[in-house]
Amino acid sequence: MPLDSSSYSIAQLSTQAAADGSSYLEMGLTKIICTVHGPRESPTRSGSSSQSPGAHIETSISIAGFSGTDRKRHGRNDKRTQEMQHTISSAFSSTLFTHLYPHSTITISLHVLSQDGSLLAACLNAATLALVDAGVPMSDYVVACTTGSTASYAGDGEEADPLLDLNGLEEQELPFLTVGTSGGEDKVNVLIMETRVQVGRLEAMISVGLDGCRQIRGMLDRVVREHGERVLEARVA
Amino acid sequence: MAPYTNIPLSPAELSYLHNSLSQNPPIRPDGRSPTQFRPLVAETDILPSTNGSARICFADGTEAVVGVKAEVEQSRTFVSATGEVGAEGVLGLGAGGVGDVDMDEEDDEQTSRAGKGEETWLEVAIEIPGMRDDDALPVFLSAMLTEALLADGELKDRLWINRRFHWRLYIDILLLSQPFSYPLPLLSLTTHLALLSTRMPALLSEKDEDPLFNDDWEASHFLYPQSEGRSESQRKPPVTLLVMSVGENIIADPSREELAVADAVVAISVAPSSTPDNEMVLKTLALRTVDPPSRLTGAGVPTALNTTAGGTSLTAAEALVLREKDQGQTVWRPPRGGVKRAVITRMIKLVTEQGGVGQEVLEGLAGVET
Repeated sequence: MPLDSSSYSIAQLSTQAAADGSSYLEMGLTKIICTVHGPRESPTRSGSSSQSPGAHIETSISIAGFSGTDRKRHGRNDKRTQEMQHTISSAFSSTLFTHLYPHSTITISLHVLSQDGSLLAACLNAATLALVDAGVPMSDYVVACTTGSTASYAGDGEEADPLLDLNGLEEQELPFLTVGTSGGEDKVNVLIMETRVQVGRLEAMISVGLDGCRQIRGMLDRVVREHGERVLEARVA
Repeated sequence: MAPYTNIPLSPAELSYLHNSLSQNPPIRPDGRSPTQFRPLVAETDILPSTNGSARICFADGTEAVVGVKAEVEQSRTFVSATGEVGAEGVLGLGAGGVGDVDMDEEDDEQTSRAGKGEETWLEVAIEIPGMRDDDALPVFLSAMLTEALLADGELKDRLWINRRFHWRLYIDILLLSQPFSYPLPLLSLTTHLALLSTRMPALLSEKDEDPLFNDDWEASHFLYPQSEGRSESQRKPPVTLLVMSVGENIIADPSREELAVADAVVAISVAPSSTPDNEMVLKTLALRTVDPPSRLTGAGVPTALNTTAGGTSLTAAEALVLREKDQGQTVWRPPRGGVKRAVITRMIKLVTEQGGVGQEVLEGLAGVET
């Protein structure tokens, strides 16, 4: 199934009226609601960050207790979550025009309702949509997807076929990486791999990942344009 | 801005709001009638990985998602129970009276599931952005919702599987936006919808065996049975609604600005049950007064005390006397004291009566398609 087929992934903008920008993204069974607040004045207590010339990007991820197969509470200080928050903040810091908003904060809150693989990639895509909805200027979409490599112990690296967009079960079995790009496929913002893989396969995996990112970029672009048309029609009518 | 609160209203604005809400009929800032609910958007069965789920968006933009998840757990009383149960079984086999024992127990199971549930089998967790799990608001809200859910006494018994195992029901409530108005009604209505859509897998094993369930989701049954024809056991999960009073007026579903001038705020939990002739009757399960945020607002300064407007500077004691005499007539004074018993009675009646607010809300929610 192609990544951007509408039965596989569903994306919506402006799902919540109370936030400056919001989005809902489904990639397979991974479902995420993202809200963006800001850019707004930094809270006074963080003295150091308010001195910075550009806007400060804060990300918070809350993973719902019912998101997995078994019910599990995820603490706020979970190391994996913290790392993902940092990755998302730094991925957007080079794409958003933060220098336009000195002494301010952009808060991205991600709520994971259901997770089945590609969590970081889905978070990045949802955050992009919400930031577009919030009207934060950016040079391009940040889009991400995962690629895995089959036959983890096979000898020759060339024949191993890379897989695009892994689900939860595949992520447990196969070595995989998350690649996030902006500016078409020119610029890689995020490249994270937590498993081991032979170096020979890495190139194939990354190139498949870049191709996947381009597909997702097309999908997000379509969603944004459709939403824009609807907004315009509502204004005219 | 008033000190200690997030109410961005000045004493003059508060006084204006309070006055217009005390009119007969009250004039609400958004033009609603006193018993009118704000419109909401709701959907259920949104998450396939849960037993039941729902999402509600209120008109002011606040949004909540509730996921209900059930897990099988071994009963804690098992250790003490095994000795007795095991011995009985052995005796029964030896005596050759297995059939009789079985029959008895089957009857037993149908009738005496009641009273076997434990309150700890239900776990409600509330997550509010920007708040810790042990902050006062989430703890208080989850206690209030748990209280209402357990009050009908039937839910916990439905979690009983057999003498060795039970369901543990986790209700995870996520508030996805900042808590603009007091989020209790939103969370309660979402929980109501999620529980209505909650389904439990059908049990295949018998009696005290390790539980084995039918993996066909079509065969599952609802936690709250939704029988159309049968009038009995038409229980539905409770809803908790917020009602406030200003003077003699009673106002349902207060918005954030209205709460800022409330004299008293009461959270009323009601559960619908049907009479034999298929009419919905609301039963009051729990009642809690909520500390209104209006008590923390700053009082206005009477003109007589305002030295910049030609007032005289008085001693503290004189100023106090003047403020007390004023009674909030000319300037805003945060409400204090309790609420009249008659007003509470009228509040409950407003929610529970036929064609009242509670019925309107429940009928609206029943119209939500899964």
